Amino acid sequence: MTALAAPDPIRTAPTRGRLFDWTLTAMLVLGGVLMMIPFVWMFSTSWRLAKDSFSLPPQWLPTAWRFENYHEVLTGIPFVAFVLNSLKVSILITLGQVVTCSMAAYAFARLRFPGRDLLFLVFLSQLMVPQQVTIIPIFILIRVLGLLDTHWALIIPAVFSAFGTFLLRQFFLTIPVELEDAARVDGAGYLRTFLQIILPLAGPGLSTLAIFVFNFYWNEFFRPLLFISTWEKMTLPLGLTVMRGYLGVGNVAAIMAGVSMGILPVLIVFLLAQRYLIEGITLTGIKG
Amino acid sequence: MNPTRLRETLAAYAFLAPVIVGFVLFVLGPALAAIGFSFYNYDVLTPPKFAGWANYRRFFHDPRLPLIYWNTVVYVFWYVTLTTVIGLALAVAATRTMHALWRYVIRTSYFFPVLTSLASVSLVWQYLYSTDFGIINYYLGVLGVQRIPWLTSSQWAIISIILLGVWKNLGFNFILFVAGLQSIPRHLYEAAEIDGAGRWASFRYVTLPSLTPVTFFVIVWGLINAFQIFDSPFILTTGGPGDASRTVVMYIYESGFRFFQMGYASTVALSLFIIVVVLTLIQFRLSRIWVFYQ
Repeated sequence: MTALAAPDPIRTAPTRGRLFDWTLTAMLVLGGVLMMIPFVWMFSTSWRLAKDSFSLPPQWLPTAWRFENYHEVLTGIPFVAFVLNSLKVSILITLGQVVTCSMAAYAFARLRFPGRDLLFLVFLSQLMVPQQVTIIPIFILIRVLGLLDTHWALIIPAVFSAFGTFLLRQFFLTIPVELEDAARVDGAGYLRTFLQIILPLAGPGLSTLAIFVFNFYWNEFFRPLLFISTWEKMTLPLGLTVMRGYLGVGNVAAIMAGVSMGILPVLIVFLLAQRYLIEGITLTGIKG
Repeated sequence: MNPTRLRETLAAYAFLAPVIVGFVLFVLGPALAAIGFSFYNYDVLTPPKFAGWANYRRFFHDPRLPLIYWNTVVYVFWYVTLTTVIGLALAVAATRTMHALWRYVIRTSYFFPVLTSLASVSLVWQYLYSTDFGIINYYLGVLGVQRIPWLTSSQWAIISIILLGVWKNLGFNFILFVAGLQSIPRHLYEAAEIDGAGRWASFRYVTLPSLTPVTFFVIVWGLINAFQIFDSPFILTTGGPGDASRTVVMYIYESGFRFFQMGYASTVALSLFIIVVVLTLIQFRLSRIWVFYQ
């Protein structure tokens, strides 16, 4: 967190020529524009007649404002259900992870017990396990439990996370110990210290984790593809992919309207919470 | 153990209980079960039949696997190399950006694709890559480049998937390198300056060594994730033409969930696991040589 506020060493180093810096800036901005082009094309295509989707040379601004494409997505396929399913799955997983990961992170960051470092290492090593190794036994387990084609199949195995525990542990380590010591002297137990001292101070950390987890499961494709087969139960990325076949490859405009509506919440969250996201990435990568 | 220590230990395990249960049920247990399944033939509908080493023999003689593994390795190599090198170059350039507004614009535009769903943006890129009507070929045409069959030629299919991956996740490394650059203590640059170091020398002897921990994280994390590439080839090319862009995870998916050969799919999945672990451990070993922690 302090890293972002620190003075920038290169900027403060002696500079030779503002022209050079402006040229670099211009090139970076141009690159940034190139990065956004797929989204611009997606958005402007989503408002056109389907037959104009491929007109060349490309028109960058919307040439028409046909709400019909959006209407078709909203009524022709269970788009609203996809959004609600994605919301339900992502929110429940996020809540679950915030609870389980913050508890574990508190133990790893603050409590002393035999085998702590070894256990932490074993725990972190699961980051190396590709999802595909465990997915077949998990699929069979879920099938045996009769949870296939339910949202619980997506939620239950996902409410624990090594990444989340690691991220929160890093956050908790930045909280001064003195506050807890004071509470301890006042006779507070571990649970009370955790609930009344650590959690209130860890707000930014918990928000960061929540945003990451929500975004990850909002976007998830692989597990829904395996576990969900009923159209009305699908989450958004899976539903949109299936819709591609349903609406026919010809109707690009409707597909782009669907993808645009799926990306909109991500854009809003991003603009509101950019700071948390960047701090979270920094904390895992720099101080890990 | 004295009573205070014992209390603390018990409290710790109580706090850890949910994630330990999750770890055993959904990581450790399934990983061990996958080893077990690799010795069985199991089609989900009929009871598993013991198969001995049959799945392993098949694995080593599977005529499709060398190309599928090669595609995956090509993807991983280029994805990791390009996102690391370009991410670093962008971050270094970005520290010289004039005006906070432009810095915000740059950071936002490079980072935004990271947050989108790979499956959804693959739907968009599928049309950008279209040979006859795609805007990529249109603008290449303006520059005098012949139409490239991005998704339909065995030569270009994997390249298209790499480019999409780099576009989508470049911003993640960019942000990490920016933060890494900002956390380099100023006194190191001042010391270098006193020693008469020019701009290049201070980059080479201060900036680069200070960034090695971030670079290490970026490479290890990129490698682990890149080996699991699935969504973009699944949507863009469905692995084709032929097997030209099929990845290991696609093959696991198809063996297990299309042809219901859970045993063989587990064997292939374990091979992926072993490769990822070995490469990660090699990375950690090599890091002793080139990573400098302050």
